[in-house]
Amino acid sequence: MTSQKRATPPAGRHKDQAINLTDWKFPMDETKKAQSLSVIRMAAEQKRIRPCPTFIEQLFNQLRFQTWRYWILQGMILLTAMVLALTLHKRQADRIETLAACSVFLVFAGNIFLGHVASLFSWHMAELEQTLYLNLKQMVCIRMLEAGIADLVILTLFLIITGSKQPSEIGTSLIYMLVPFLWSDTLYLHMLTNLRNISLGFRSLAFGLLSGILALFPILWESVYQPKYLVIWQILTLAGLCLLIAEVYGLLGKIENGGDICLN
Amino acid sequence: MPELKLDRITKHFKNKIAVDNVSLTLREGVYGFLGANGAGKTTLLRMICGVLKPTFGEISCNGIEIGRLDGDYRYLLGYLPQDFGYYPEFTARRYLEYLAACKAVPKALAKERVEEMLHLTGLANDQRNKIKTFSGGMLRRLGIAQALLNDPELLILDEPTSGLDPKERIRFRNIISSLSKGRIIILSTHIVSDVEFIADEILLMKQGRMIEQGTVAEVTQSVNGKVWEYLAAPEEAIRMNEAFPVSNLKNEGEKVRLRLLSDTCPCEGAIKVPPGLEDVYLYHFEEVSEHGDHLERRTL
Repeated sequence: MTSQKRATPPAGRHKDQAINLTDWKFPMDETKKAQSLSVIRMAAEQKRIRPCPTFIEQLFNQLRFQTWRYWILQGMILLTAMVLALTLHKRQADRIETLAACSVFLVFAGNIFLGHVASLFSWHMAELEQTLYLNLKQMVCIRMLEAGIADLVILTLFLIITGSKQPSEIGTSLIYMLVPFLWSDTLYLHMLTNLRNISLGFRSLAFGLLSGILALFPILWESVYQPKYLVIWQILTLAGLCLLIAEVYGLLGKIENGGDICLN
Repeated sequence: MPELKLDRITKHFKNKIAVDNVSLTLREGVYGFLGANGAGKTTLLRMICGVLKPTFGEISCNGIEIGRLDGDYRYLLGYLPQDFGYYPEFTARRYLEYLAACKAVPKALAKERVEEMLHLTGLANDQRNKIKTFSGGMLRRLGIAQALLNDPELLILDEPTSGLDPKERIRFRNIISSLSKGRIIILSTHIVSDVEFIADEILLMKQGRMIEQGTVAEVTQSVNGKVWEYLAAPEEAIRMNEAFPVSNLKNEGEKVRLRLLSDTCPCEGAIKVPPGLEDVYLYHFEEVSEHGDHLERRTL
């Protein structure tokens, strides 16, 4: 920067004198100027410029470092969902059959996506992740968002194949599919947060059995899809949603407060 | 340059007090954090890193509570946990790149830093290998590399040298020494020689409390006049070993040279010698050392 302040010509003076004054500059001590600039430069060099990655960048970073296994699994889930949709459509399966099959699939897909969140707590990484700029809590939120988006894609696909045209029909199909999904996700998060002392193998086995029962429940009693039970489904959806929110809130709270969940 | 202040930090786990009313002010330099297993070192470091929250007290960086600083604080932080975590399917390079991204190191700079850290820790030749194939020493070096990735102003290393061979430990000490300018380095260990030569200040922790703090010279002063050397016959050496904390034994011909700790002259012929940090450690942790610490009393 070489700009120097010029003095304005004093009002009421002669024009020639004013012209001369326009060329007049404040006397400047070049040595002092160089010293000041040097001090500024040194201070600037010492100052750490902290980059602040945007949310999108952080989201992308989490995806960028996924293993090829993760992407293959995601692709397989989507592909299986599409094959399931096409098969059901081809077989002209009735709505109840379609709903039951989609519910079961959604439960397992949801759990696989949540497994991706749970992997943050594996291999003793949680403690280290909690100390990073993008900490464990933020990572959990990002991965939950990713899981939510993936669930939503599959849910939309299933809603399309259940062939619902009327908004009310879409609503009931959504409720029928959401109940097992919400409850199994709640169960998954509960086990992740509260049953950490139990061995991983036992936890996975217990969870697999429980979510399997949840997912198979509507198939075993198809009569539960009768309209007279819709109120119960609605209550279960609401309860499942509240519990899921509570589990997410609890998990994030435990991370925030430095609970056992963060420790290796 | 950060100033870290711990104000009456206390941490309770159910009925146990892990850290009891610790107050410290840490400025630029290397702090050697010594204590026996279960002394509360790891808990205190976890609180400094923000992994655990104190039950009472406050930790502040440059006058602001670390919880309020949030990401700004973690940006300054480099941490190597005692139980170092890693994704076994990742290669060393990919793992460091991942952590660099999570540490908000800009992509262009991250590449440079990863390269630099791989060379610094001697992992450049193994950078394409999966971490699951690494030995214990290589894992520890990887841990050190990740802690340094973001050029942290506050570097916290919990048992960084466990699993390293003597050559690697010397290399590690040199790395830490070269990094000490312009940052706070806290090095927790129970291997005295790790900190004896590089720490500007020694912090001694016992049963959740800070019992000694100062330079090596200041800390060793506390046992000045209590360290003795004595050349004993083997039978006598056995008796002495049972009666006093012995920090060293050396066979010299038919006799045994003992270095032992005693408030008063242990026997006729014993001579006072200047204390070292290991003597200080033994003096304070003798009871604990009998239960499995590396300085456990040796038998003839």
